[in-house]
Amino acid sequence: MAASFHGGPTSKERKYDRQLRLWAASGQQALEDSRVLLVNSDGPLGANSTGVSGVVGVEALKNLVLPGIGGFTIVDPATVTEADLGVNFFLEEESLGKSRAEETCRLLRELNPDVKGDFNSEVRQPQRVEIFDLTLIIQPIADLLQDPDFLPQHKLVIISGPTKRSSLDPLIQRAQKQGIPVLYTHSVGFFATFSLQLPAEYPIVETHPDPESAQDLRLLNPWPELVATNAALDDLDSMDDHQHGHVPYILILLHFLEQWKQSHGGNAPDNYKEKTEFREFVRSKARTSNAEGGEENFDEAVAAVLKTIAPFSLRSTVREIFELEQCHNLNSESVDFWLIAHAIHFFYTTHGVLPLPGSLPDMKAQSADYVSLQNIYKTKARRDVEEVTNTVRQLETQLERRFPPIPDRDIEAFCKNAAHIKVVHGRQIPQISSNSDSITLKAIRTQLGFPDSLVSVFIATQILDGVVDEIQDTSNDHRSINDDALWKSHTERILALLTRDDPTPLDSDARENIHKAIQELRRAEGGELHNIASLAGGLVAQESLKVITKQYGPLDNTCVFDGARSRSEMYRL
Amino acid sequence: MISTDANSQQNRWKHLHKVLTKSGPYCDEDWVPGQETISALESSKILVIGAGGLGCEILKNLALSGFKDIHVIDMDTIDISNLNRQFLFRQSDIGKPKAEVAAAFVEKRVKGVKITPYVGKIQDKDEDYYMQFKIVICGLDSIEARRWINSTLIGMVDMEDPESLKPLIDGGTEGFKGQARVILPTLSSCIECQLDMHAPRPAVPLCTIATIPRQPQHCIEWAHQIAWQEKRKDDAFDSDDMEHISWVYNAALERGKQFDIHGVTFQMTQGVVKNIIPAIASTNAMIAASTTSEVLKIATSCNPYLENYMMYAGEEGVYTYTFEAEKKPDCPVCGNLARKLKVDPNSTLGDFIESLSERAEAQLKKPSLRTEEKTLYQRFPPQLEEHTRPNLGLKLHELVEDGEEVAVSDPAYTIDFRYKVIFSK
Amino acid sequence: MLKIWSMKQQQQQAENAEGAAGKKKKKVTAAQLRVQRDLQELTLGNTMKMSFPNPDDILNFTLTIEPDEGMYKGGVFNFSFSVNQNFPHDPPKVKCTQKIYHPNIDLEGNVCLNILREDWKPVLNLNAVIVGMQFLFLEPNASDPLNKEAAEDLRTNREGFKRNVRNSMAGGSVRGNAFERVLR
Repeated sequence: MAASFHGGPTSKERKYDRQLRLWAASGQQALEDSRVLLVNSDGPLGANSTGVSGVVGVEALKNLVLPGIGGFTIVDPATVTEADLGVNFFLEEESLGKSRAEETCRLLRELNPDVKGDFNSEVRQPQRVEIFDLTLIIQPIADLLQDPDFLPQHKLVIISGPTKRSSLDPLIQRAQKQGIPVLYTHSVGFFATFSLQLPAEYPIVETHPDPESAQDLRLLNPWPELVATNAALDDLDSMDDHQHGHVPYILILLHFLEQWKQSHGGNAPDNYKEKTEFREFVRSKARTSNAEGGEENFDEAVAAVLKTIAPFSLRSTVREIFELEQCHNLNSESVDFWLIAHAIHFFYTTHGVLPLPGSLPDMKAQSADYVSLQNIYKTKARRDVEEVTNTVRQLETQLERRFPPIPDRDIEAFCKNAAHIKVVHGRQIPQISSNSDSITLKAIRTQLGFPDSLVSVFIATQILDGVVDEIQDTSNDHRSINDDALWKSHTERILALLTRDDPTPLDSDARENIHKAIQELRRAEGGELHNIASLAGGLVAQESLKVITKQYGPLDNTCVFDGARSRSEMYRL
Repeated sequence: MISTDANSQQNRWKHLHKVLTKSGPYCDEDWVPGQETISALESSKILVIGAGGLGCEILKNLALSGFKDIHVIDMDTIDISNLNRQFLFRQSDIGKPKAEVAAAFVEKRVKGVKITPYVGKIQDKDEDYYMQFKIVICGLDSIEARRWINSTLIGMVDMEDPESLKPLIDGGTEGFKGQARVILPTLSSCIECQLDMHAPRPAVPLCTIATIPRQPQHCIEWAHQIAWQEKRKDDAFDSDDMEHISWVYNAALERGKQFDIHGVTFQMTQGVVKNIIPAIASTNAMIAASTTSEVLKIATSCNPYLENYMMYAGEEGVYTYTFEAEKKPDCPVCGNLARKLKVDPNSTLGDFIESLSERAEAQLKKPSLRTEEKTLYQRFPPQLEEHTRPNLGLKLHELVEDGEEVAVSDPAYTIDFRYKVIFSK
Repeated sequence: MLKIWSMKQQQQQAENAEGAAGKKKKKVTAAQLRVQRDLQELTLGNTMKMSFPNPDDILNFTLTIEPDEGMYKGGVFNFSFSVNQNFPHDPPKVKCTQKIYHPNIDLEGNVCLNILREDWKPVLNLNAVIVGMQFLFLEPNASDPLNKEAAEDLRTNREGFKRNVRNSMAGGSVRGNAFERVLR
C-alpha cells in the first residue's frame, strides 16, 4: 500500500486522513510520541465484588490506539470474570480467568497493527505497546511509583475510579510534580464523571478559534503598504461597472473610511450609531443601475462594517498571560512558550498591536487584485514574524538556555495564533475531603443552588469513593458495597464537609437532588453499563487528544454526564 | 472455561440486570422492573442503519446492552481511511462489505447475539421489512438517507397498530461535534422538521470558479467541475479512483500556477472533491453511545428517554446541550399524515376530485394529484395537464391500487394532503 | 407495556377507525410532492414551455425559453432540469442542452445563476429558478461570466457582441467555435 504516484499521500496519511484534517501532522506527531498510562482498579470494591471493571479506560484507549498513540501501559491486577465479558468488548470467552490487563492489551493492540509494523521506519521513536508482566501488574500502583523512571515515561495518566485514597493520592501528587496530566474517571450505572488535572500553567498555542473571529484586517490602523494600495484606488467613480464591481471590499472600506474621516474631524466611526451611519454611507455608494441591480462587493463591504471597523484591542485572556510572572521574568529554565510570549509582549509594547496573522478572507475580486492584496497581508505577517524571531534569538542568547533553539515554525505558529493563545491554570483532581480547597467547596455550593444542576452526581461519586476507600483500606473487611450504614456515614461526612466553609445549611431541594443521585448510583451497585462507559471513554479520549496534541481547549476541570436525563455539565472545581 | 449455563449468563449480565431489576429515582412510577423487562429487551429486534464510524460502535454497544437480535444495513465497502475509527475492520478487510465484516466480528466477540447483515441500500427494502423491528437506529452521513428512513417510518404508522410506531434514534458527527436525537414518528419532531438545523455547505459561485479564482479550493473546483467535463467527457469521474483524483490535483496545480494561487495540495483536492468531513473515533464513541443508551432506555423503560435532541461540541471542554426540538405543524412529512379514504373503485378520477372538494379538512378546489408511480392529474403546466386530462374519465381501479397513497396539493393550501385510498367492496 | 407504544394507542383511540388497508404501497416522496406543488404554481407566460419525456416522472423535464425581447430574441433555448430526491434541500440541476454563445453559460451547457448554487435555499421554488433563467437572456451579465470570451465581448463592444449572438444563434462560428442553430 505504498504511495502510488509522486505527490500522493502515503498509506499512513490515507489511513489517518480524517483526523489529520483536525490536528494536522504536528498533532499526529505529538500523538505518536506519547505513551498513556491506564490504572484500571487496584482491588475489589468489597465482599462479593470483583472491583472496578474499568471499561471507561479501555474504551478511551481504543479511541487513542485507533488514531495512532505511541504506546500505552495498563496496570490492572484483576483476572477476567464472567461479568467483565458483559461490559468489556476487549475481552473474549477465552479470556476468562486470565489477566485482564494482558487480555485487554492483546485485543486493543489488534486495532492498530501498523503502529508496530510498516510505520516503524518512518517514525522517530520505536513504537512500544507493551504491558507489565503479571508479577508487576499485581503490585499496587504505589509500588510501581517506587521506580522513579516509571511515571515519567507517560504523557498522560488515566485512572479508573473509585480508587482508594492510599493509591490515588500519591499517584496524582507525583504526576502533578512531574507535570503529567491526569484524568480520574467514574462510570457507575447511568452516571459518568471525570476530572482533568493539568499542570498549574498549561499553555496552548493552537486553540483553533473559528476562522471568523480569527480575522484581523487592521482597517483602522493600516500599515504603509496597505495605505499605498488604497491610495492607488483614488477614483472609484471613473471605473467602469466591471472594475467597480470587483474592488475588494477591504479597499472599499478603507477608501470610504478616508472620506468619512475628512468630514468627521479626522475620526473614524467610533460607536454603534456612527458605524451604522457609515454602513449606510457605504451602501449608498454601490451602483444599482447595472444588470444585477447591485454589487456583491459592496454587499460584502456593508456586511463587514460592524465586525471590522474596530480599533485593535488585546483580548483579556492574552493580557492576563502577558501579566504573568512566567512571561515577565524569564530564566534559563523558561520553556519555549514563555520565551515566545515574552517576545510577543515586547512586540505589543513596541507597536500597540500583535503580529498580523496574515490571512485574508475570500472576497469578490479579480484574481490578480485579490492575490496582490493577499500578498500585502502575507508580507506584513512575515515581517512581523521576523521581528519576533529576532527578539526570541536575542533572548535565547541572553538567557544561555541549554535547550535547542526554538524551531522557526513554532515561532511562526505562535505569531499566527497570538490573539488566541491560552493558558489553563490546572487544578488538582477535586475531592470533597477535610483538606479540600475552599474554591472546590464554594463552586459545589454555588452549583447546588441551581435546581437542575448535575453536581449532585459528582457528590454521589465522592460518597462512593469514601465507601470504597473504607472497605478497601480495612483489612479483612466483609462489608459489601450495599452496606447501608457505610453509605449513611459517608453521606453525612460529605454533607458536613459541604458546609465547612459556608455554614448555611443545604436547602431541601439540594438535599433531595443529592439523595436521588445517590439512589440512582447505588442502583447499579458500582457496576458499569457499557453504553455509559463507552460514552465516557469517548469523552475521556477526546480530552486526552486535546491534551496530548496541545490543541483546542481541554476540560477545566470536571465533567458530569447523566445518562438517565441525557445531559452533561462542566464545572471548575 | 466456556459455559452456557444460566448461572454464567446471570453473572455475565449482572451489572446490566441491576438497573433492569431495580427501580430508580428518575424512572416512571408505573414501571415494573424485573424479568419481564429483561425479556422485553432480549426479544426486541433492532435495526442499525450504517456500519461505519457510528455503526461499528452502535453494534458493539447494542450487543453489550443485552440485545440479541440485531440487523445491520450498509452498502459500502471498507476503505483504508475508515481504519482510524471503524474499529471492527482491519487492513485485510479493505474492499469487503462493511455490514458483513462488522456483523461477523461482533457476533464472534459477544456470545449469544445474532447479527444479520444486509449489504445494500435502505431503499431496497419495503415497509414489510421495516415493520419487523422494534426500534431503528441510524449512524449515517447522508441527509438524503436520513430523510428517506424518516419519511418511511412516519408513513408506516398505523393508527390501529401501536407496534407500527418505530422509534428512530439518529446520530451524526463532524470532527469534534455531533448530535443524538430521538424521533417518535408522528408523535415528536422529525428529521424533516429539523432540516434547517443542518446548513448546507456554502458553495462558491460557478462564475468565480470559471473566471476569477482566488483560493486553492477554487482551482480544485475548476479542475473537478469544468476541466474534467471538457477534457475527459467520456470518463465518469470517480472520486475513489486515485488516477482521477491525481488528474484533478494536477489540473488544479496548473491553474493555481496560472493565477499565482498557492496552497493546492493533494489532501485538499481529496477534501474538496469528496466533500470529506473530518471524523475521529472519540466523537463517534460519544455520539454512538448516547444513541444506544437511548435505545436501551426506550426498549426497557429503565430510565426516561431523551426528549429529544442532544448536541455535543468538544473543541472547548465538554459542551452538550439537550433540548426539545419542535414538531412543525406544516412539516411536509409529519405535518400531513396519510388519511384513509374509502373510495368506490369504479368511480372515475373526476368523481374522486369532485369528492375532495367536499371533504371537511380541506375543500380542495384545484387539486393536482399523483401516486408514487403515476401523475394522476396535474393542472399546470399545460403539457402535463393535456397529458393527464384523459385520466379524469378513467376508473380509479385503473389508476391506483387498493391501499395506495395519493398525494394532493392545492394552491389554496400551503400544506399538502396524503390519502390512502381503500377500495370499498 | 412500554410507555411510547401505549401513548400511541391512546392517541389513536381518538382517531376514526376504518377497515385495515391492503398491502403497504410506496409513498409519494417529499421531493415529488414538492415538485407537484411547484409546477402548479409556475407562471410561464408565453416565452416559456415545458415538456416531460415521461409525464409520470415530474422530476425530469425540459424548459424551453423563447425570449421575446433583448439580444437573444428569436432563439429557442432548451434546458434540462433534473431534480433529485433531496429536493428542495438540494437545488435542481439545470443544463443547457445546446451549445450557445452566452457569457453566463459555458460551452458544456453549465449555467451560472446564483440561485442554482451558492444562493439556493429550500424556500425557493422552481418558479424562482425559471424567472432567473429568463432574466439571463434579457440581461446577460458580463461581470461574472462563465464564458469569459463572450463576457469580454459584451463588456468591450456591445454592438459586436450582439452581432456575434445573432451569428451564433444562426449556427455560425464565433472565435473559432461553431454554435448550434437555435433560431425559431
